[in-house]
Amino acid sequence: MGNLSGKYAIVGVGTSRFGKLQGVSTMGFTLEASKRAIEDAGVPRHEIDGVLVMMPAIMGEQHGWAARVAAYLGVAPTFSATMDMGGATACGSAATAIAAIDAGYCRTVLCCFATQNWPQGVAMQLFGSEFQVPYGDVGAITLMAHIKRRQQHEHGFKDEHYGQIAVTWRQHALLNPDAQMKKPMTLEAYMRSRWVAEPLRLFDCCPNTDGGGAFIVTSMERARDLAKPPARILGAGQSHSSEMIHPRGNDNQPWGGKPAAEMVYGMAGVRPKDLDVAQFYDAFTPRVIHDLVAYGICKPEEVGDFITGDHLSLGGTLPANTAGGLISEGHLSGFGHIREGVRQVRGECGARQVPDAELCLVTGYGGAPHEAPPTVSYSALILGK
Amino acid sequence: MFVIEKPLPRPSEDTAPYWEAAQRGELRMQKCLPCGHIRFPPALLCARCLSEEFEWAQLSGRGTVFSWIVVHQSQHPAFNADTPYNVTIVELEEGARLHTNLVECANEQIFIGMPVEVVFDKVNDEVTLPKFRPRR
Repeated sequence: MGNLSGKYAIVGVGTSRFGKLQGVSTMGFTLEASKRAIEDAGVPRHEIDGVLVMMPAIMGEQHGWAARVAAYLGVAPTFSATMDMGGATACGSAATAIAAIDAGYCRTVLCCFATQNWPQGVAMQLFGSEFQVPYGDVGAITLMAHIKRRQQHEHGFKDEHYGQIAVTWRQHALLNPDAQMKKPMTLEAYMRSRWVAEPLRLFDCCPNTDGGGAFIVTSMERARDLAKPPARILGAGQSHSSEMIHPRGNDNQPWGGKPAAEMVYGMAGVRPKDLDVAQFYDAFTPRVIHDLVAYGICKPEEVGDFITGDHLSLGGTLPANTAGGLISEGHLSGFGHIREGVRQVRGECGARQVPDAELCLVTGYGGAPHEAPPTVSYSALILGK
Repeated sequence: MFVIEKPLPRPSEDTAPYWEAAQRGELRMQKCLPCGHIRFPPALLCARCLSEEFEWAQLSGRGTVFSWIVVHQSQHPAFNADTPYNVTIVELEEGARLHTNLVECANEQIFIGMPVEVVFDKVNDEVTLPKFRPRR
C-alpha cells in the first residue's frame, strides 16, 4: 500500500461568521468560509481544481451541491463531489483530497461545508425512520443518550466525568473570541442543567450553529511557496458501522472507530502518547469518552481519572478541544476542529496555544442516528508541523 | 383541544409485512432460510449470508431491555404532551433489537436487562405499534 504520509498539507483554513444567525443562506456561509480559507492559504483561485463539499444538513433537493458551490466561487474543478459522512466529512474529505491529488486528478482541493438551521428548523423535527419516529424517537439526540446509557452501564463512568469535559471545554472557549458560548461553566451548573433526553443533560450537548467552515489541501511542494506554515497530513483513517441495531447480528461489535484509529496512527507512524494536542469530535460529551478509548489515549478503566486529573486541559498531558469544541465553540461539523488543529501546529493560537505543539489528532464522527439501522462514520487525521 | 397527530409509519415494499403482522397482533421478522439469522430492520437480503430466501417468522415476543432513555425535551410537537416518556431498545430472545416504548411501568423502574414482552398498541385502523411491557 502506498503511503501518502507527509506528502500533502492543509495550507489554508477559514470559517464564516457563525452562531445563531438568521439572514445568511447555506450557500452564503459556504462561500464566506471558502473565501476566507482561500485567502488564508494565499493560493490564487485558478489553482483550485478540486472541490469537496459536505452535504448540507438540510436534506432537501441538493443535487449537484458541490459543483454549484464551485460555480459561485468561479472555480471549474477537475475533481469534485458532495460528501455525506455527517460530522466525519471534514476529516474524511481531507483523506479523499490527498488520494485524488496523488492520483493526479487535481492539485489543490477546497473542502468546505455550511449549515443554516432556519427556517428549516421546524421541518427538521420530523426526521427519522418509521421504526423510530412513531415511538417519539425523533432526531439526532436519542441515539447519543443511549450511547451514554450504555457507557455508564458497561464502564461505570460518572456524570461528573461528562461534566468535567463540558467545564474544561468552556474554559478553553473563553480564550477563543469566535466561540459561541461565552459564559463560564462550573461543574455544579452542569450537574443542575436540565435533562434533554435522560441521561443527556443540556450541558452535555452542543448548541445549534448557523455557519460554515473550509480548508485547502495541496502538495508539500506547493505548500513550501506559500506564506503560512503548512499543517502536514501525516495520517488519515476512517471506519463505518451500524450502531445499537446491527443487521448482521450483535456478535463481535468492536469499540467503534478502532479501525480508523489503527489506520491513522499506522499511516503517520506515531503512537497516542506522541500526540501534543487533540480535537475530538464532540457534538455531545459521551463522544469524548468514546474517542479517548477508541484512539488509544486511555483504557476504559483509566478514563475517569484522566478526566478528573485535568489531563485534557491546557497545561495537561493532552490538551484537547482547545477552541472549546463543538460544545462551546459551536457546531462547525468538525471543520472548526481542523481549523484549530492547523492553527495549533502553526503556533497561531495565542492564549490557548499548546507550547511546541507538533502533532495534533483530529477526529470526526457522523452519520444517521435517526435512520434504520442507525449508522456511524468515524474519521481521523493526524496533522504535523 | 387541537391535537397534532403523531407521525405514523408509511410502509414500504420492505416493511409492509412487518406492519401488517403487527396489525394481526403478531411480531414477525424475516428469518433467513439458509443461515437462520433473524434480521431487522426488514431488507431484501440477509446481512450475514446475503441470501434473498426468507420467511416472515413469528417471534416469541420476549426480550430484555438493552438500553433506555427518557425524553424530557420533545423534538416534535405531537409528543409534547407525553414528556417525560421513555424510548427503549429491546433485544429480543432471537437476537434482533428494535426501538420501542415501554408501557405499564414507570420510567424509573426500567433497567438494562429487564425482561419484557411485546404488546400491541392499536393506534388506528391502519396502524398498530409493537410496544413492550415488563414480563409477567
